[in-house]
Order: sequence, then structure tokens, then C-alpha cells
Amino acid sequence: MISRVHQLKKILNNVEKNVLQIFGFPPRELAMAYTLEKRLPQPKKFTIKDIVGDGILLAVPKFRRTVEKRLKRKFGSPDYVWKMLIPKTNIIVCNSCGHYHERGYICGHCYKKVEAETKEIQDKIQEKLGNLKPIENDVIVLYNGENLPEQPKEFWQGKRIIEMKKDRPQWFSKNLLQKSTQQPSESKDVKPTDLA
Amino acid sequence: MNQADVTKLVSKLRIKVPDQHRRLRSPKGPEGRLDKLRKTVTGLIKFERIELNHHRADEARQYAERLISEAILHGDCHKPTMEIADYWLLEKELLHKLFKVLVPRFENSNTAFTKMYKAPKASSGRNIDKAILELRGNPYPLLTNKHSNNRYLLQNVLLDAAKYEYRQAKYAEMADKIGKNEEISQPKSDDVAKSKPINEV
Repeated sequence: MISRVHQLKKILNNVEKNVLQIFGFPPRELAMAYTLEKRLPQPKKFTIKDIVGDGILLAVPKFRRTVEKRLKRKFGSPDYVWKMLIPKTNIIVCNSCGHYHERGYICGHCYKKVEAETKEIQDKIQEKLGNLKPIENDVIVLYNGENLPEQPKEFWQGKRIIEMKKDRPQWFSKNLLQKSTQQPSESKDVKPTDLA
Repeated sequence: MNQADVTKLVSKLRIKVPDQHRRLRSPKGPEGRLDKLRKTVTGLIKFERIELNHHRADEARQYAERLISEAILHGDCHKPTMEIADYWLLEKELLHKLFKVLVPRFENSNTAFTKMYKAPKASSGRNIDKAILELRGNPYPLLTNKHSNNRYLLQNVLLDAAKYEYRQAKYAEMADKIGKNEEISQPKSDDVAKSKPINEV
């Protein structure tokens, strides 16, 4: 029964094909398939401006730093630069001024005074002896109110005396109980009090 | 054995000389290094006390020592020595100073001619070590405290006073003891004295 129906259907298909061929239509097999589809919108071209807009773009790390590197950044390396605070055990008290300084180094407080005085003497020597003449004399420095030490005459041969026009600094004296450079004042001015 | 005594031909430095020289980097290379050192040696002879980086000071010190010892050894009539001095001293008036001032000053010394100290460090920051380089016998104030043996140093004055007080206290104690001993011994003698008269009576 089914085969008969199938046969009939086949015959009808043939008839239709022949009739259409007679009228000049192409056979149905060659017809184009057409599917109804909504057209998708074309994707826009990607630009970095879409993301950034008015702002600015910063570089950001791409990879995570390793633990070792993070620790070294934080604490430094004991062999090179150690960033932790460690107590110094080589600090001593200066014998003459009482300030602290490192063992093996000159006391900073004393050195400041010596440096200033040295600079002054050097300038004075340069001013007196250093004008492109051959230097043939040793130098002796005398402060205000000082006399030449008693020496035989031969000692003074080939020596130049540089006079510093001020009193010898107290710390630069041989006797620490010598008079202070400050003279006792005789003025009877009284400083005003309760001004403010 | 007609050999010359080598120690008298070559000046032996009185400071410790490291086995390798420092490079003192400079764009000119070794020549630039020597230029730097010449400047430093000239400055040292001129000012007698300078402060500079430790490495350069230590390096220049050796050359300055050598220069002075050569000058002492040969004097100013020796041509090679004069040439060396002429090379190392950039300011020519210092040639006179070397032979007329420094040679007499150091002739009879048996220590080094220069002294080097470590300059105080800045308390913070990573700083290069500085040094103070000076010629001995300069007219400037001393860099180190040499008063520790001075009778008038404050610490010594205080210590002396403390010692004196302690001694006085000890003397007083001893005097007390002697007095007490006498008091103890005296009553016995008194008894004897008293007893005697009684006997006599």
C-alpha cells in the first residue's frame, strides 16, 4: 500500500517536472535555498580610545614579584645594603668635649672647631706668604698678646711669623686652666626684663 | 762583596703600603689617575692639612711620603730628584718649600712625614669615607685630644680631688683608731698608777 502511494507520488513529481520543463522553468533541484535571517550588526573596529576616553593610561605590572624579591626590596641584603636599624656598638665619648663619636674616627664636635680655626690660619698664611713667590720659610702662628717662645737665635732662621689678630681660642691652649678669652666686663648696663 | 747597599739607594716608606694600587677611576685612564694624585700632593704640600676622600688621600699619601724622602735622601742638586719634584708639584713655588722648608723639618725624624685621620662621618645617609691628611709639624691646632696626661684636664682635676678626699678620710680614720687604742691602753696604766699610789699609801 505504502509503496503504491510512493510510486504515485513519484509519477506526479515526474509530470510536474516535465510540465515545468516544457514552459522553460529550470528544474526544482537547482532552485536556490533561501533562509530568513536577521542581519547581525557589523562589529566596530576596536580602538584604545574607547577604553581610555579622556583619561590617561598607566603601565601596570604584568607579573607578580617573587617572595625573595619582595623581601629584598623591603629589608635589603645584609651583604650589600641592610635596611634594618641595628645598634652601633662602636660609639665612645670624646675625652675633651664629651660628645659621642665612632671609635677610630675624629670627634665631630671637636673637629668642627679645629676645621674653622685651620681654615682661618690657612687663609692668613695664603694672604701673607702665598703670592706666587717661592716659599722658603716655615711658619709660626702667634695670637694676640703672645710672645715668641724663648729659643736660640738659630731657631728663628728661616721662619715667618703669622699673627692672628685675635685671642688664642681656649680649647687650643696648652694649659686648660688658663684665663678665658672673655674679659670680665666693667659695664654697668642692665639688660631690660619683662619686655614682652 | 762590592755590592751597593740597596736600602740606601731606595727610600723606604715609613707607612704601610698596600700591595695593589687603587684605580681612582677617571675618563683619562691611568694618566687621569696620576693627574688627580698630583693635584692632591700639591695641595698637601701647599696647605699642610687637607680633607678629602679616604681612597684618594691614602693613595696620595704614599706619593707624598716618597717625594719627601727622595728630597731628603738626594737634596736639590740631584737631577732625577728635581725632575720628580717638578712632575709632582704643579705649583712651582712649592719646589722651594719642599727643599728649603720640609727637608730641614723632617731630616732627623724617624717617623712618617704625614698623618692621616678618619674624618667624622655624617650620621645619616650613605656617604663616602673622608680622611684628613696632614704634614707633621704643621702650625694648626691638633686634631686629636692629647690632654689625657695633662694635670689640668677636668677629669684629672676631679680625680685628683677625689683621691685627696679619700686619703684625708683614711688618715682621719687611722687617727681615730690610734686615739681609741690609746684610750683603751690608758685606763690600764691609770689603774696601775692608781694602784701604785694605793700601795704606796
